[in-house]
Order: sequence, then C-alpha cells, then structure tokens
Amino acid sequence: MASNDLVVGLEIGTSKICVVVGEGRPDGTLRILGVGQAPSRGVRKGEIVDFETAMKCVHEAVVDAEQKSDVMIRSIYVSVAGGHIQSFNNRGCVMVPEDRDEIDEQDIEDVKVSAREVSIPASNAFLHSIIQHYHVDGQDGVLNPVGMLGEKLEADFHIIHGVRNRIQNTIRCVKELPLEVEDVVFSALASAQVVLTQHQKNLGALVVDMGGGTTDYILYVDGAVKQSGVLGIGGDHVTNDISMALRIPMARAEKLKLEEGSCVLGNCLPGETILLKDDSGFAGKEIERETLNTIINLRVREIFELLKRKLEAEPFINYIGAGVFITGGCSLLDGIEHLAGESFEMPAHAAHAQTIAGLTSAFENPQFSTAIGLIKYAQAVQAERPARGFRRLIGKFFSYG
Amino acid sequence: MIQLSKNYTLPEREEEIIPIKIVGVGGAGANALDRIVLDGMEKADLIAINTDVQSLASSVAAHKVQLGRAVTRGLGAGGDPEVGQQAALESAEEIRPALANARMIFICTGLGGGTGSGAAPVVAQIAREAGSLVIVFATLPFSFEGKRRTAQAHAALGRLNQIAHAVICFENDRMGDMVAPKAGIHQAFAMADVTISQSARSIVNLIQRPGLIRIGFDDLLTALRSENGRCLFGFGESDSDNRAHDALRQALKNPLMDKGRMLADAAHVLVQVTGGPSMTLSEVEILMQELNRQVNEHTQILFGTAVDGRMGNRLAVTIISSLRAEIDVASDVAAPLPVPAPIWEQPQEAAAKIDILPQPPVLAPAPAPDLIPFEPPPPAAELPPPIAPVEKSRSRVIMPRKKSEPEEEPKPARQKFGQAKQEVLQFEPVTRGRFEKSEPTIIEGQDLDVPTFLRKNIRVK
Ligand SMILES: Nc1nc2c(ncn2[C@@H]2O[C@H](COP(=O)(O)OP(=O)(O)OP(=O)(O)O)[C@@H](O)[C@H]2O)c(=O)[nH]1
Ligand SMILES: Nc1ncnc2c1ncn2[C@@H]1O[C@H](COP(=O)(O)OP(=O)(O)OP(=O)(O)O)[C@@H](O)[C@H]1O
Ligand SMILES: [Mg+2]
Ligand SMILES: [Mg+2]
Repeated sequence: MASNDLVVGLEIGTSKICVVVGEGRPDGTLRILGVGQAPSRGVRKGEIVDFETAMKCVHEAVVDAEQKSDVMIRSIYVSVAGGHIQSFNNRGCVMVPEDRDEIDEQDIEDVKVSAREVSIPASNAFLHSIIQHYHVDGQDGVLNPVGMLGEKLEADFHIIHGVRNRIQNTIRCVKELPLEVEDVVFSALASAQVVLTQHQKNLGALVVDMGGGTTDYILYVDGAVKQSGVLGIGGDHVTNDISMALRIPMARAEKLKLEEGSCVLGNCLPGETILLKDDSGFAGKEIERETLNTIINLRVREIFELLKRKLEAEPFINYIGAGVFITGGCSLLDGIEHLAGESFEMPAHAAHAQTIAGLTSAFENPQFSTAIGLIKYAQAVQAERPARGFRRLIGKFFSYG
Repeated sequence: MIQLSKNYTLPEREEEIIPIKIVGVGGAGANALDRIVLDGMEKADLIAINTDVQSLASSVAAHKVQLGRAVTRGLGAGGDPEVGQQAALESAEEIRPALANARMIFICTGLGGGTGSGAAPVVAQIAREAGSLVIVFATLPFSFEGKRRTAQAHAALGRLNQIAHAVICFENDRMGDMVAPKAGIHQAFAMADVTISQSARSIVNLIQRPGLIRIGFDDLLTALRSENGRCLFGFGESDSDNRAHDALRQALKNPLMDKGRMLADAAHVLVQVTGGPSMTLSEVEILMQELNRQVNEHTQILFGTAVDGRMGNRLAVTIISSLRAEIDVASDVAAPLPVPAPIWEQPQEAAAKIDILPQPPVLAPAPAPDLIPFEPPPPAAELPPPIAPVEKSRSRVIMPRKKSEPEEEPKPARQKFGQAKQEVLQFEPVTRGRFEKSEPTIIEGQDLDVPTFLRKNIRVK
C-alpha cells in the first residue's frame, strides 16, 4: 500500500489519546484501518501540562494504532483544543488587477490574507480561516468565484486562532516522538466533519464535543461555520463536583458517574439510594441517587447555559434548523439529550461519527469523533489540493469547512 | 539553611525538578493517594501498592504494583500483617524498579490492617536501599477498631520508625474530632485523606517550588523527625483584607494543632507561606511575628515562602511539626515483631549520605548578589540515629529585613460570599482539586473549577 494514501488523525484528549488510521481508496472513499488508544496523563483541560508524561501516552496510543492497523505511522493530523482558542468573523477585500478581469486562484489567496489583516494578540497564531461566502462586485452568495468576471472580490471568513506557544506544545509533543505533523486542526471542526452531514450543515447545526477537559463547539448556518470556540469545562468537572460533594476519591466519583449517573432529575424513587462499595472493611456508604443526579445536572446544565449565552452574543443560533448534536465522552451521560434540548430550546441528539465508510460498530463511540473527524478533514483537504508541494506552500491557509 | 531574597521580584528560575515518588500502600494508602491526585499533584510520581486487585484497579495512580500474587491471589491480606509482609517480600523485585530513581519517597499508609502494616515497612526498606530519603505518612486506627488493630498498628509504627527517615503519624481518633460527631466513619477517613494530602503537598511544594526562601532538606527532616511523636499540622488560607492574620489563625485552629497550644512545646516548626504575586513583605512579617508569639524561645522556626500565580488574592499558611511522645504513644508500642527480614539489612548505614538537594544547590552558595545568606547550615545531611534526643537549639526565626517596597494598597473588603462557602466546606480548605495545575476557567467572572453546587449554594444531601 502506498503510504501517502494513509491518513492518520491524533487527538491528545484530556482523558484519552486516540489515533485513527484511515486509508484513502482509489474511488475517493475513506476506510478506517484501525483505532489506537491510550489513557491520557499530563493533559488538563485539553492542554499539555506535563510534557514528558503526555508524550509517553501519545507514543503508547500510536504504537497501539500501528498494531491494530498493521501500518507504520509517519505523519499525522493532530487536533487542538483549550480555553485559549477563539474565533471571529471577518471580511476580506481585494481589487482584481487592472490588467485582468477574470478572478483567479491568486485573488482567492489574497482575499484570505486580507481577511487576516486584523489584529489578534501578538502571542496568538491563526489556526484556520474558513470561507463562508464570496461576494463579487457586491453580488452575494458566490460559491466559487474563480473564472468569474469582476473588479472587486470580497470574502467572509470564520477565523480561528489560539495562543501560539500552546499550539506549539502539541506540535512539539508529536515531533519529538518523532512523527511529522501534517496539519493542526481545531478539534470541534474535526468532529463536525463526521458528526454532521452536509445537509445538516446547510440546515444549520450546533456541534458540542464534551470531553473530559473541555467543551468544544462549532456552529454552522447555511453550510458555513459561523461561531466556534472552547469552554475549559468538561466531564472532569462533573467528576470533581461529585468527588467533592460526596467526599470520595476522583476514581470512585468517575466510576459512580459512568455507572449510575444521570442528568435527569425527578426520575428516582423517593429515598432511592446507591450503596458505594468500600474496601476498608466497614459498611459501605449510602448516597441518594437524586443527590448524585442533582450534582451532575447542575454542572451540565450550567455548561449548556453558559454556551448558549455565549452563542447568543450573535444572531446565528436563531438560524439553526437541524438542532444541537452532542458528541465526545460526556454525550454518553444518561439523559443528556433531554437536558440539552431543554437548555438550548431545540432538538438535541447524542451523536458519534457516522458519515464515513468502513465504520464498524467498534468505532461508533462518541469519544472517537475528533480523531475520526481528523481523517475526514484531511481527506477533504487533500482532495481540494492534490499537489502535495502546493499544500506545503499554503500551509494552513486553506479554506475547507 | 535558610536564605532570604532581598526583594520579591526575583525572577522565577527554571529549577531542576527533584524526582519525588509518593507511594500508597494498602487500601487506606490507595485512598490517600487518590485524594492527593484529586487535589492536584504533578511534581511527583504516584504509585499504588496493594495486595487487593480491586482497590488497585480503581486507583487513579499512574503506576501500580500488585503484591503477593501467590500469597494473596489478588485478595487483601485479611487484616494479617504477617501475610502483608510475605506478600511484599514475594513481590520485592517488582517494588524495587517502581521505586528507583527518586531522591525522595513518601509512603502513605493506614496502619492496623494487613497490607499497610505488613508491607509498608518492606516498601520503606526497599526505598531506603534505593538511596532515597523516606518519609512515611501513617494513620493509626480508631480505638473502636479494636485492640488487635491498634497493637498491629503500633508494632508496624515501631518498625517504620527504625527504617524511615521520618514518620508523620496521624491518629484517626483525632481526625474523628475534626468531623461532626454523627458524620460517620467515611467522613473521618476522608478527613484523614485530606490531611495527608495537604501535608504531602505542602512538603512537595516546599521542595519543588522556586521559593523565595528555601528550606533545606536537613531542616525539613529535623522538623519532621521524632519517633512515635505526634504530628502537628495546620493549614489555613484566606483572601480577606487581613489575610496573613486570618490564614494563620485558621491554621492554628486545626484540631491537629490543638488550638496552637501544642506548638509551644515543639522544638522545630516548619512554616510555609504561599501567596500570589500581590503577597507583600509586610504580610510575611506580620505572620512571622504572630507565629513567634505562639512558640517558645527555644523553638526553631523553619520558614519558606513561595509566590504562585495561581493563588490569586489568596494567601496560604502550612504549619508542620512533630512532638516527641511523652507517655502516651511511646509506652504502648508493642514489642517489635521478631523481624524475619531476609532481604533487608539494618538501614542505618545508608542514612548518612543522602543527597537530595539538586546540584548545584539552587540558591545555596551561588554568589547571587540579591541573596542574603543567614546563619550557616546546621550540621549537614547527617542523620542522627532516631534515638538521639532532639537537640534544643536557639530560636532561629528568620525575619525579612525592612520592607523595601511601598505597602500594597488596601484591598476592598470581600466577605460577602466567603461566608456561605465556608459553611459547606467546613474543615476542608478550598482546593482547586484536579484543576490545580491548570489555568482557572473563569467565565462571566466565576471560577468554574469550583463545583457548581457550591457556587449556586445548593446543599446536596
Ligand atoms: N485515611 C484513611 N484511612 C483508612 C481508610 N480506610 C481504612 N483506613 C484505616 O486504615 C487501616 C488499615 O485499613 P486498610 O488500608 O483497608 O487495610 P490494608 O492495609 O489494605 O490491609 P488488608 O485489607 O488487610 O489487606 C484501618 O484500620 C483504618 O484505620 C481510608 O479510606 N482512609
Ligand atoms: N458512559 C459514560 N457516561 C458518562 N460519561 C462518560 C462515559 N464515558 C465517558 N464519559 C466521560 O467522557 C469524558 C471523556 O470524553 P472524551 O474521551 O471525549 O474526552 P477527551 O477527548 O479525552 O478530552 P478533551 O477533548 O476534553 O480534552 C470523561 O469525563 C468521561 O467521564
Ligand atoms: Mg476530545
Ligand atoms: Mg485492603
């Protein structure tokens, strides 16, 4: 198998590291060859805090993926998240040179550069400029202006940026393995590629990837990305709340959350309790089921409400037709669809990767959405720019969304 | 040796991290370790060691060692220290690599059961043989757990005292005083776990933080060492206008401090003050003066401070000390078990040449112009045999010199909702838990790492 048909996605998550190996087929489809995993250590809120440890875990996951898929991994697409990631929309504008009246590829590049001529903090770097719409001489809704006649090309972009050093941390972690980094992708952008269909993006949809350390979101209207970002709150907070409220260690709180927890209130019998197993030789501690669920409900509801308020700073949330799609490990929480529906006041679905070939039920896990999304993203990018040399040149300045 | 930096703007150095391992032995040890993880600990490797596979499986420690596959078959030691010891000896070759390459090893364990009491001395011995400095945090059982457990615990404590460089001993009965009378055994254990976590973290931070005033390891040991002694521990934190005073008062209120009364009898007291960048020299001065009033003139105060950006407006005081046992504990130490100890020799020889300070000693003899060295160090890392009487030395409180900077603007009062929080948290210091090492998530002016139910002031249970 030619190695350049391989695409590999890596998510360095707060809870687990996930490596997905995919293979591009001659017919343009993509198949998953294998998924490697390792528990994550040294990562907090989506960011590496202990470099050495995190690197070991990534290595472990890569080796696992190599064994499962029987390939050698040389280069990867890696996702990034973290509370430092921010976004905004901006319009770029260029005049087509006098000696030419047809818009060409160069103008497309130039208008993108122009859209980035806004000040972001000096310590930040651009991650993505995702095209929303082109306008040619004031005409709206142009999808592909190349070859059109016009004098003025304008374009609306959704621009995602983050703190350079922190993004570099992730890159460094991979490079020291050593593996080559093909590209760095905002995690929710990756997840959305496999959680949503094109139709859902067109109708308008919100993807919320709730992982262990962060809640990453991305909002589509009319097929274009309008809002995106990261809240540094996730499943760890739910577990920590349980641990502090019930005064039990994190490990037990985590287990309790997974096995017994629910976001839904009022479903328990009055006085229904859960017996905590205990190995100290004393009778186990009893806790009320409704208490556990209240702790979870308060936290998850708060995350949704915060996110909603954040999104409401702009009008786009009102144009969502398909609803909200919750993915990431926390989407497995019992009753989360119900709570999300209530909080966002729209239909809510728990979702995992589905818009990809070769998915067997083993991969139907919402915790894999980001890593699987990465290979779909990679494939789309590569399809858009077939020449590898060219890809290097434009680096991150491409526009798939 | 204590050195004091002249000003508070000393740039934080990228200092060498000292390899530290924290080991939990037995079920109680595993729980204490979990608590340490929960409270955030990234400057040390955590290792769970147990006979009981179920407990190991649920532990969050990164490294785990199962003891006595053949002897206990994955079950506990059934409360029998003999079995616990056999299990540890069987697995000595698995323990050894897990403990390798640490300058300092903390062992957390609950004495009284089989694994902790039987295996912890073996683990401590292996740690000593690896050339590490070994400090044990041990709990003694509640008296209602029965005479047998108490006797087993004291026998184990006696052995640990011979092997470890220092043993910090927490009496569960006293922990019991810290929780409400009808709170139940779990809360008392949880309280013990919090206290162990808090003191382990204070010590690790004392060593790992690029402190302004550093405490040497020998000083640390001096403060901690005293056989069969009672541990004094206090932690206080405040962000009030008078935070230095309030934090100290809270620390002294800790029941393990006996309202500060016992402090008067301590020969050595270790104090660490941690604050955000806004911490001022005068605050540290206030604190030291007040503390000075609590101790007698012979007490040696070992003092460290550190600036930690994550502290925000808070200032925290940790006080650790130990008292020599008078009559109570020491006298009922059971006759030491006939030590079979095939794999261990008497540890004493190894003791003398422990070298824990990162080389070159970070702030030590370097001719940094902004450091004022105080008093020569006490006789270097020589460890007197544990029986040696604690030497009464002159009071050696190192006070910061005249303040060189204008005093901080008084901060606006901030009491309103501290009150409510305090009520729920009771004795538990507000920690950032798992999120300690990460940047706080502040959205809409709220610290979202604090549990939602606390911020919304909703009483659970
Ligand atoms: N701090 C704390 N102490 C505990 C806890 N559970 C038990 N203890 C105390 O620790 C002592 C020893 O209990 P364990 O640690 O469960 O026993 P073990 O060492 O695992 O020994 P075996 O169960 O016999 O293998 C008990 O007598 C209690 O006093 C806990 O969760 N936290
Ligand atoms: N069955 C389940 N029920 C409830 N929560 C679950 C379940 N399974 C996993 N989780 C939670 O999902 C979280 C992990 O999700 P995920 O693997 O998507 O995170 P991650 O990608 O490692 O972290 P992040 O993306 O935030 O850095 C954990 O908090 C875990 O408790
Ligand atoms: Mg994730
Ligand atoms: Mg046990």
